[in-house]
Amino acid sequence: MLIVTCPVCGAHGDETDFHAGGQAHVRRPATHDPVNVTDEDQRDYLFVRHNPKGLHFERWRCDRGCGKWFHAARDTVTMEFKAFYKITDLPPPELMAAAKGPWAEYFASRVKLESKA
Amino acid sequence: MSSKPYRLGSGGRLIDRARKIHFSFDGKPMTGFAGDTVASAVLASGQRVFGRSFKYHRPRGVIGLGSEEMNALVGIGDGARHEPNLRATQVELHDGLMAVSQNRWPSLKFDIGAINNSVSRFLPGGFYYKTFMWPVSFWKHVYEPVIRRAAGLGRAPEGRDPDAYENIHVHCDVLVIGAGVAGLAAAEAAAATGSRVIIADENPRFGGLADISGGSIDSQSQADWAAAKAASLAAADNVHVLNRTSVVGHWHHNFLMLFERVADHDPALLAAGVPRHRLWKVRAQQVILATGSIERPIAFANNDRPGVMLASAARGMVERYGVAPGSEGIVFTNNDDAYQTAMVLKTAGVSVRVVDSRSRAEGALPAKAREMGIEVDAGSVISAVHTSFGGLNITDVKVAAYRKGQGRVIKEKKVPCDFVAMSGGWNPALHLWCHNGGKIRFDDALQSFRPERHHDAIRAVGAANGTFALPEILAEAYAAGEAAAKSIRKTKSAAVAVPAAIQADQKPMEAIWFAPATGKYNEGNKHFIDYQNDVTAADLELAQREGYESVEHTKRYTTFGMATDQGKTSNLNGLGVLSEATGRTIPEIGVTTFRPPYTPFSFGSIAGPLTKNLFLPIRRTPVYQWHADRNADFEPVGQWRRAYTYPGASEDKHASITREILSVRNKVGLLDASTLGKIEIKGPDAAEFLDRMYTNMFSTLKVGKCRYGLMMNELGFLSDDGVTVRLADDHFLMHTTSGGADRIAAWLEEWLQTEWTQYKVFVTPVTEQWAQFAIAGPKARDVLEKLEPDFDISHAALPHMSFVEGKLGAYPVRLFRISFSGELSYEVATPSNLGRGLWNEIVAAGAEFGLEPYGTEALHVLRAEKGYIVVGDETDGTTTPVDVGFDGLVSKKKADFIGKRSLEQPYLKGPDRKQLVGLLTEDPNEVLPDGAYAVRQVKDKPPMETIGQVTSSYKSPTLGRSIAMALIQNGRARMGETLSFPLPGGKVVKAKITDTVFYDKEGAKLNV
Amino acid sequence: MSELYYESPLAGVAAPPGLAVSLREIPDRGMIDLRGFTSDRKFMAAAKEVLGIALPKEPRTSVAWGDIKVLWMSIDQWLILCPRTKAAELLASLREALTGIHSLAVDVSDMRAVIRMEGYGCAEVLMKGTSLDLQSPDYTAGTCRRMRFAEIAALLHVVEDDVFDIYVFRSYAHYVWEFLNVAAREPAKVKLFGSQDVTV
Repeated sequence: MLIVTCPVCGAHGDETDFHAGGQAHVRRPATHDPVNVTDEDQRDYLFVRHNPKGLHFERWRCDRGCGKWFHAARDTVTMEFKAFYKITDLPPPELMAAAKGPWAEYFASRVKLESKA
Repeated sequence: MSSKPYRLGSGGRLIDRARKIHFSFDGKPMTGFAGDTVASAVLASGQRVFGRSFKYHRPRGVIGLGSEEMNALVGIGDGARHEPNLRATQVELHDGLMAVSQNRWPSLKFDIGAINNSVSRFLPGGFYYKTFMWPVSFWKHVYEPVIRRAAGLGRAPEGRDPDAYENIHVHCDVLVIGAGVAGLAAAEAAAATGSRVIIADENPRFGGLADISGGSIDSQSQADWAAAKAASLAAADNVHVLNRTSVVGHWHHNFLMLFERVADHDPALLAAGVPRHRLWKVRAQQVILATGSIERPIAFANNDRPGVMLASAARGMVERYGVAPGSEGIVFTNNDDAYQTAMVLKTAGVSVRVVDSRSRAEGALPAKAREMGIEVDAGSVISAVHTSFGGLNITDVKVAAYRKGQGRVIKEKKVPCDFVAMSGGWNPALHLWCHNGGKIRFDDALQSFRPERHHDAIRAVGAANGTFALPEILAEAYAAGEAAAKSIRKTKSAAVAVPAAIQADQKPMEAIWFAPATGKYNEGNKHFIDYQNDVTAADLELAQREGYESVEHTKRYTTFGMATDQGKTSNLNGLGVLSEATGRTIPEIGVTTFRPPYTPFSFGSIAGPLTKNLFLPIRRTPVYQWHADRNADFEPVGQWRRAYTYPGASEDKHASITREILSVRNKVGLLDASTLGKIEIKGPDAAEFLDRMYTNMFSTLKVGKCRYGLMMNELGFLSDDGVTVRLADDHFLMHTTSGGADRIAAWLEEWLQTEWTQYKVFVTPVTEQWAQFAIAGPKARDVLEKLEPDFDISHAALPHMSFVEGKLGAYPVRLFRISFSGELSYEVATPSNLGRGLWNEIVAAGAEFGLEPYGTEALHVLRAEKGYIVVGDETDGTTTPVDVGFDGLVSKKKADFIGKRSLEQPYLKGPDRKQLVGLLTEDPNEVLPDGAYAVRQVKDKPPMETIGQVTSSYKSPTLGRSIAMALIQNGRARMGETLSFPLPGGKVVKAKITDTVFYDKEGAKLNV
Repeated sequence: MSELYYESPLAGVAAPPGLAVSLREIPDRGMIDLRGFTSDRKFMAAAKEVLGIALPKEPRTSVAWGDIKVLWMSIDQWLILCPRTKAAELLASLREALTGIHSLAVDVSDMRAVIRMEGYGCAEVLMKGTSLDLQSPDYTAGTCRRMRFAEIAALLHVVEDDVFDIYVFRSYAHYVWEFLNVAAREPAKVKLFGSQDVTV
């Protein structure tokens, strides 16, 4: 049983009081440019997920609490949660630095965007 | 049999000789004392055989003292209260208790299955896999029943369980597992900080093995010290003590399940309604594992004969229950600890000698034993066990000289005896440590595994941690208890002083994995490793030779370490044998996975109270009772119970459904549609948001008007539909399907929160605020008029797909002119607590117009006659709006909405998609079964290539014939074609493809 | 047409004998679901104006003023409790005060059943259905939170010590009522922490 803490309202409890929502930080291509989404972009968005041994970024909803979605970083081996953070946020810097695969690219592009802004 | 031979004249710390208890074993009346277990009482009566073994049906007796027992499994109670496979060593005696042995037929003494033993050379490891392979058709009906009968454990109870069971969720700071000396010490230290502590132990009395371990704490016996600590913990406000409670599993984040046998030991409690078992679901901040250790058997020839038991069990029987395991015994050991057994037996007047596999036995305990006059054969093993006919009674053993590593027997002597107490050393009980991935390492001194590290907040102390010396156990346990508590919150409380302890020093043990035996290897001299699964050393060696090199493969091939026992006594001995067979070290071989539960627990405790009427939450609409009073047939729709039809006194369901349909078509009907999902959506961006959610456009909807909407998921597949009304510019009320209410509300929230976070939109589900009824049929307006609306309901003022809020008489209502039947129809919603009242008013007002309530089956036929789809019937999760002919509802104007881009993926286009069509069977009386397949070409037998399937099929009373809808490959291009539907049994139904609208194609009936 | 006929979700249901705590339905509570942003000063001010008290911002807390109570439901959602007879009027005032302010106020008085539990040991009974740590000091009087109870969603409000209101969607009222009837049986008392009488 995973024990989860909601970063929005602080509710703390069993995973059954929450709802797991799969991989986090997946970009929906059509939101940004509905016209120029290639078949491959759409395929990757819908079906291609990262399944690492170790650090995993994922979405959760405080289903039996405040109802808000949020992010979590979890170690898939020990099941330890490394961080909980808001749905609009990026993970803490040390976890961004440790991220691999598509997350590393995503975080880098987000950080770049935000520093421009 | 009298209780003479084995009940000692005095002693037995746990029994009360003043209270006799009457019970039965295999129907034979027996007596014991209060405090006895079934094992001790039956042994006291002189009977040693408790059951037959799993595969060979060899007679088996008691081996252990507690939960490690793997042989003496008994069934307790009769009828519905029968519980199989309980360990006789743990079942507390009470008056009237009925125990039966298992896996024997026809009797314990004479068992037909024992023939397996004489042919055992043909039953090697992997026997079942090798033999029962061909033909495949024999698996289910020949092999499986035969194997199950021959190799069963106990039988299941008969009838419905009469008892109550419970679950409870509890949180604590520190959970201490095991209430031996180490557990008590850790709990005391943790509790002293003010932490909330739970301490649980599987036995009725706390103290673990303190009473048979010698030594003293604070100048008291270990047992007295433990009793005093247990009492003070039980009295503490911040401690919850749980006896008769097994911690059966440890899961992520320190979630544990504790199985409490609340009332098994006392029929009076059960009679008073106390739950029989309670399953505790505990979330602990910190866990202390003080589960102690389990004594290892030794693999010597015929080490399973009744009368062979663990050394700790032998002395436990004497000390706790005043029961001697026999009159003349051998203690066979490889360590000093078992000498305590020899001394306890000697003191109790039982003749005993020690066989020690070590070449020198010179520790303090052996010295003391010799002083007491006990003979010791050092450098020796038991090489044979001889029994009377049938293996029931031991007559003597052979003792042979032994040097470590030696494979065959040299000097042998015959020693008469009637029991053997064996000790191959002690294994820390690591099961719970390992359930959730704790790492262990092999300790050379212990010749066993001990905890190494764990990613959860769990600490092992005492014997569970491989610490066996009493002073060290105490120091370690107090420190761990305090550290665990203080890791949660800092306190200033002073540490509890560690009490002084005295215990004899012990010299190192020497592992012995296999004792050489008289005669040719493995001929009639089985060395049992896993008693419960009848796995011998030879089986393990054979598995190695046959290539099962991984220990996990060996486990599955031979079944060693499986079943209820989970390798408690067998695991390490098995690894030892494998190690000697392969020349690899035990750490190289590795261990098999320990899986929950540690000991079996009841299904009743898992279900708790969620049985019968609580098995599944049942949802009732505000008019539920009216339906029930009208003898409605209920249909489950998700968790809802909806009225399916209302059969009259002399009607069958078919007749009542027909009547209800015709009533709507010709007069007027009333449907309880309260289960429909209802969601209020409001905000400046609400319209744009709905454009994103639906396939069609909602920003163009006028205030006061309704529009039917389709929703897809991101894959482009239909997920829900319903009518949405615009209450104000920035305010909508959405209807969803009954099953989609919660899902769609969550779906809307998800997109608002995660993707279009800039939208200012609030979403509030209000499904249950409203009771909602459909009044449908040509007379619907007449009924409405009779209900005194305070608004204009004329066709001009309130045309199809419009909405009005007002009052019907005294009742506040929201009125939607929408139709799912194709008739003039209104859906009227009123606050739920007024629902029953309004329903009654409508029924009364409708009487003169012939109004009849109709159920969900009539609803479905009515909509099918009109070709209206039901998401979930006409769609199956891989169906697009285009497939069902809703191209027109998929907006071409909107740049983006959920699922839009996926519809353009090549795999969702093309002529091979299945498309929704109508079907008319050639025989108008033939109703196709739901799901029937259309095939390209009919053949004598399957396989036949299918080209689609029936999604809805009914007998339409309106049309006087059958109608159906189906998803057919490229269906819309095949209008007029006749398809074949082969049914099970060989019949082939032919049906012509038509339009999906069977009734009132122009929709004239809607606009009146 | 005749008068309004009113029927609460558990109308006609009575608690069985032999329970360790008392159970009854509160059949006539007015409830309004209010959505809005705490960061929106106009919204917060308008709500306070109508209710006479500020909406609680602290998660899982409630506030009371006269016969009105406001339960925190989420960072942008509150459940306003009032006598049923006042609900319509209060809703109208709220809507008026919130005109032009992004918000959503809905009368949900009929959406939930309310069950009142009273007596020593309520927490223990509830813990047979919820994994919340009701024995922790977090659950002081006034605390409210949504939870999974038995197999369904519920809202718990600690009214005062040993007095709890449980809100469930009305269709589940009988299910929860029957669950509580079983969980609260006198012989099924657990006597957690400190109230044990046991010899080990």
